[in-house]
Amino acid sequence: MKIGFIGLGVMGGPMVGHLRAAGHDLAVWARRPESAAALVAEGVPLCATPSELAARSEVVITIVTASADVEALAFGPNGLAAGFAPGGIHLDMSTIAPATARSLAARYAERGIGWVDAPVSGGGQGARDATLAIMAGAEAATLARVRPLLGVLGKRIVHIGPPGAGQVAKACNQMIMVSAIQACAEAFRLAGAHGVDKAAVLRALAGGSAGSRVLEVMGAKMVERDFAAGVEARLHHKDFAILMEEAARLGAPLPVAAQVWQQLDALMGAGWGRDDTASLLRVLEG
Amino acid sequence: MDVGFIGLGLMGRPMALNLLKAGHRVQVWSRRRESMQPLLEAGAGDCASAAEVARRAAVTISMVADAPDVEQVTLGPDGVADGAAPGHIHIDMSTIAPAAAQSIAARLSARGVLALDAPVSGGEPGAIAGTLTIMVGGEADACARVQPLFEAMGKSITRIGEAGAGQVAKACNQIITGVGVAAVAEALNFASKSGVDGAKVREALLGGFAYSRILENHGQRMLERNFKPGFKAWMHQKDVRIVMGEAHRLGVALPTAAATAQLFNGMIGCGMGEDDSVAMLKLLERMSGGLGE
Repeated sequence: MKIGFIGLGVMGGPMVGHLRAAGHDLAVWARRPESAAALVAEGVPLCATPSELAARSEVVITIVTASADVEALAFGPNGLAAGFAPGGIHLDMSTIAPATARSLAARYAERGIGWVDAPVSGGGQGARDATLAIMAGAEAATLARVRPLLGVLGKRIVHIGPPGAGQVAKACNQMIMVSAIQACAEAFRLAGAHGVDKAAVLRALAGGSAGSRVLEVMGAKMVERDFAAGVEARLHHKDFAILMEEAARLGAPLPVAAQVWQQLDALMGAGWGRDDTASLLRVLEG
Repeated sequence: MDVGFIGLGLMGRPMALNLLKAGHRVQVWSRRRESMQPLLEAGAGDCASAAEVARRAAVTISMVADAPDVEQVTLGPDGVADGAAPGHIHIDMSTIAPAAAQSIAARLSARGVLALDAPVSGGEPGAIAGTLTIMVGGEADACARVQPLFEAMGKSITRIGEAGAGQVAKACNQIITGVGVAAVAEALNFASKSGVDGAKVREALLGGFAYSRILENHGQRMLERNFKPGFKAWMHQKDVRIVMGEAHRLGVALPTAAATAQLFNGMIGCGMGEDDSVAMLKLLERMSGGLGE
């Protein structure tokens, strides 16, 4: 399939590799062209604008930071919408606000262009191993056309509902995951306060009913005091602003998530936004 | 003084009436024409747009719901900036985000209008009695020039600092009042669930260290189960959302305000948005095995 790709970061880089290995005809656009230099050297075409990329692609995949970035790529000057032929599909794998996803889907639909929101969970490791969990919001027929691509990138692909629904599932994912990181941080803070061996606590708990992926991965980082990012904490902080704002709009009380958000605010205030979210432990150490 | 007033709701109407009472010549415009009627009857001038208000006055005041409304009436088509002569002063007394206030002030200033942010505390009773607390951000000179207008509407008038500083003070006010309403509601619900007369508890506490205006006024309304606004829960929720958004931007933890914000979310979700924020008592009753009616 002719595919365009935008967003060559920690997640996007390995995803491009998997798509090329699967034999797809890939081209890219990059805000900073130098970030595509290695791919260009291997013969991957670099387009001058998102619009040009869309014009040569059946599907354009984007994985960038914020709602505003996706909006600008889609409908900004020289945006994807201007280049797509009718029947083209924008497959956005970024984490953005459900409301933004719904509005972009509606604007594309007016032009006969398809939309899929397909945010992922699994981090850089999941992207490298092609084991991402993918939650999709789309019309069923649109999703069916990109499902083979998603199958190259991840293992568990779930159609949640219409456009925007994938982002709702991702918001639920972020809420559970970061709240669990906070719970781990508090547990290791308590163990530390008692002067107990944290590594031993981690080993014991991993086998019991408190065992979880978060405990395994983030607990280990906390025990080893390895605060180098995996996923930068500022991105989780950004996700929380989106989901808490939507909760306020909908009148949904989220008391625990609200507290976790405040711990993330404190983390940002301490200047650890580019470190790993395991830094929530450091927030508790004062 | 020739003053224009835009936004004649629960707060704006009595504030504009107090300006008339103090002898100022008042021009009015409101998006909903029927809300202008009481002012026109009291002798205010009838304008067809915010721009016309600005043309006919040296100072305009806006009292509207949120930042997009302030932008619309000041910088939008037929807005204040379209009608203002150089040196015109615009005072926005709505509650909006400090960052939005700064941005609006900068854009008004580029069009020759001096902007002040002057949000208030004291609610509808304070607006009617002319006893509002007014917190001002903006240039000291402009602030001094409109002091007589502030004095017609309020009692305690404090210039906090430059543009946006008034809204920062108002955000602080909303942290303390939002959390205060929640604390009083929790205490009275706790008393009632413990089988104790909340009215007696309130009376006793008013003499001690837990005394507050909120315990006195809001507490009384909770005991009377008088949930008529006042200050609507959805507006209080909006103000707390502004605060939480600013805290997010600044990297400041507000754990107690965050908990209170969730109670406001719960009120909205239960259909209590149009009630006064003292209806938080009903929500807590529902969270404690009660009916909360």
